[in-house]
Amino acid sequence: MTEPLLDIKDYRLHIATFDGAVHVLKGINLTVNRGDTLGIVGESGSGKTVLVRSVLGIGPRNSKVLQGSIAFDGQDITHLSEKDWTKIRGIRISMIFQDPMTYLNPLFTVGRQIADVIAAHEKAAVNGVSSKAARRTRTEELLDQVGLPNPSMLFSQYPHQLSGGMRQRVLIAMALAGRPDILIADEPTTALDVTVQAQVLDLINSLVEKLNLTVIMISHDIGAIATIAKRCAVMYKGEIVEQGLTSDILNRPQHEYTQRLLAAVPDIDAAAEKLPAEPAATEPAKPGILLEAIDLKKVYRSQSGAEFTAVNSLSLSVKTGEIFGVVGESGSGKSTLARMLLSLIEPTSGDVIFDGTNITGLAGEPLRQMRRHMQFVFQNPHSALNGRHTIGDAIGEPLRIQTSMSRRDIEARAEALLDIVQLPKSFKYRYPHELSGGQKQRVCIARAIALNPRLLILDEPTSALDISVQAQVLDFLQELRSELGLTYVFISHNLAVIRQICDRTIVMKHGEIVEQGRTENVFLAPREAYTQALIESGRKTSQAATLRPGS
Amino acid sequence: MLTFAFRKLLTLVGTMIGIAALTFLITNVAPGDPARLVAGPNATEDMVATIRSEYGLDKSLPEQFSVYMGDLARGDLGTSIVTTRPVLEEVMRYAPATLELVFVAMFLGIIVGVPLGMLSAVYKDGPLDHVTRIFSISGVALPAFWFGIILQLMFAVDLGWLPVSGRLPLVTRPPEFYTGLLLVDSLISGRFSTFWTSLQHIILPAIVLSFPCLASILRVNRAEMIEVLQSDYIVAARAHGIASYRIVALYALKNAMLPTLAMIGLRFGWMLGSTVLVETVFDWPGIGLYAVSSALSSDFKPVVGVTLMIGFFFIVANTLVDLAYAWIDPRLRRA
Repeated sequence: MTEPLLDIKDYRLHIATFDGAVHVLKGINLTVNRGDTLGIVGESGSGKTVLVRSVLGIGPRNSKVLQGSIAFDGQDITHLSEKDWTKIRGIRISMIFQDPMTYLNPLFTVGRQIADVIAAHEKAAVNGVSSKAARRTRTEELLDQVGLPNPSMLFSQYPHQLSGGMRQRVLIAMALAGRPDILIADEPTTALDVTVQAQVLDLINSLVEKLNLTVIMISHDIGAIATIAKRCAVMYKGEIVEQGLTSDILNRPQHEYTQRLLAAVPDIDAAAEKLPAEPAATEPAKPGILLEAIDLKKVYRSQSGAEFTAVNSLSLSVKTGEIFGVVGESGSGKSTLARMLLSLIEPTSGDVIFDGTNITGLAGEPLRQMRRHMQFVFQNPHSALNGRHTIGDAIGEPLRIQTSMSRRDIEARAEALLDIVQLPKSFKYRYPHELSGGQKQRVCIARAIALNPRLLILDEPTSALDISVQAQVLDFLQELRSELGLTYVFISHNLAVIRQICDRTIVMKHGEIVEQGRTENVFLAPREAYTQALIESGRKTSQAATLRPGS
Repeated sequence: MLTFAFRKLLTLVGTMIGIAALTFLITNVAPGDPARLVAGPNATEDMVATIRSEYGLDKSLPEQFSVYMGDLARGDLGTSIVTTRPVLEEVMRYAPATLELVFVAMFLGIIVGVPLGMLSAVYKDGPLDHVTRIFSISGVALPAFWFGIILQLMFAVDLGWLPVSGRLPLVTRPPEFYTGLLLVDSLISGRFSTFWTSLQHIILPAIVLSFPCLASILRVNRAEMIEVLQSDYIVAARAHGIASYRIVALYALKNAMLPTLAMIGLRFGWMLGSTVLVETVFDWPGIGLYAVSSALSSDFKPVVGVTLMIGFFFIVANTLVDLAYAWIDPRLRRA
């Protein structure tokens, strides 16, 4: 039998932090043979990113290998010098990343960035650097290889001129520049729209066949893993708890964590087991409609005078106590809509009516008073909390701004809120960076409900979270609704999530509603071609995870 | 890019008109009758009235303003009372000395500040970082006149390595006039010994002028580099196998230069203003010294002229910074 291409033996690593060493990887054993496609599943914080970055020698600062080794193609690369790394990194092992928006340097053209990588590889190979023209030809070849149209034009374009899907393709082209043996993909589809996700996965699959690549893909999206990987490893708290053929693991998960993880995947084809809408406990001031938008329109004007209509003549009404879903791909105007509903941005025309009051023209103190009743939960809990404020400060902030409660009362209320969102009281002394994504999102929710609002607008509240955490947050949101009598406007591009929790849903495209109705009706009998396409591509990625019996 | 540049130039003209209007307003708000001032303490009422009509001071304020703006448009900054020569001519005579000093100081600030900032960021919390921290704090804290005198005492008086003051020794004939910048003119006319002498003269005042500027460039560049070095695209560049020095000196530096450039633009204007002190200490015949001596003899036209001049160069410098921004950052070009 031939030697494995990558052989990780009893690899232990810790990271020195202010509070002492944290054991991030606890005895990892993993082998990858040439031509393998391996998926690594796990939540954020499970150590999967640290593991693959160690394979590339770009692990976190302050990290220390305690034990074990990583061998690549027979060579021990555990403690390689920076100089020796240049012969491997990006050339024999290369990597693509999660968010194509931030992993390309905004100040250099696409062509320059890829050509530089080629030059770096040639330098490392000590064969002398090829001419500029040769590098350009090779770059255009690579761009063509990843299915990008018009490579010669693309060569001199900047990242901001490309869409998310195109940028991810550019990053893949960059990773292929050195004709690598192993391609590591770290959550390559997480930041992309559903329709684009399917395309990028198709591309990776076709490259595996064409170039005989060995792929290691990290994801918390089991659907994506199932599309790519023949073999699969499940990581949990720094350990691999289960590995084997992907189909085996999906069909017969052994470890308790894997079972939980699979159960948490929202299924686009499953009807929701929702709590009934409008729980009896709520007693709305005026039964019926809580929030109404009439003919809402937002036009952005660039300095050069070009107009862009983000939201176009949109009307909707949200009933008290319901969960109102807004679906659409990025750029469909979802977030602009949400911000207008909250009067965070001024609509170009149209009105927003909250509980019978037109809030469009409100300003100053009346608007501030109104804000008590409507709160916002942002997409990315990592950037929605000020890193220099403790959790207790963050939760207490709306109370300090809006009420005249004493310090002690605010503190007590913050503790009670932590209790409501099921976090320990001691968390109030912690800082955001000490919390996981799911915990941070709970803190954001706690902050949003601090003033007992009547309406919560949630802008993609789970898309930055892991699946099992996502399931927890969704469950929790539903509980909270019945407990506190809240009304939600829930924005998402994840159809399975929408189906799981929303009572009524609108589908947005180019700033307009293309379809609306009861969520079940929208999913079971979509009338518009766009909705059908959206559901279809969503199904494609979630299908694999539902292979398992019993669903 | 071209429309961007064009729009920037239009803004430049607009701002210039604004500055002119503002200086006009300030001179008219200032207490005292300029005509009486010009006429001197022993003048009779008749003389004052004559002067008033001669200078157009008897007209209404809007009329005066239109005359003033019209004169400015023709490049007429008025006449100095003390020297009885056109202010523009005098400002043009003194401006090159100041500009030369500012350019050299800026050059020092950038070539020392940017790399030191970069290195401090790469070796954050290392010995170099601590040294540059002390260095930059003292740079901002030391008053220019004190620091200038200390340098004069050390390098000119005690060690005798460099001249104490002035632009050139009295016995040296200045090179032919091309740009007014001695360093450039001496090179153009091939007089290398003059180049060397004027370099020796300029070095101390340039250091004094550049020190605070260098310090702030260093700090801004360091902070920005630290931020950029943690960004995703730098991780990606490492993962793709690009060499560390190249990542730092090319990729990260370009991104970090944007805020640094803003600081450079601001510091340029600040330097033009603070040459007044440095020029006084080093007896440097620039517009700062000219403005001070004019102000002391209540000669206001030159003061206004110098103010306009400084305003003009400040705006030009910041327009250049804006253009450099767009040149570096493609995302700004469309705006």
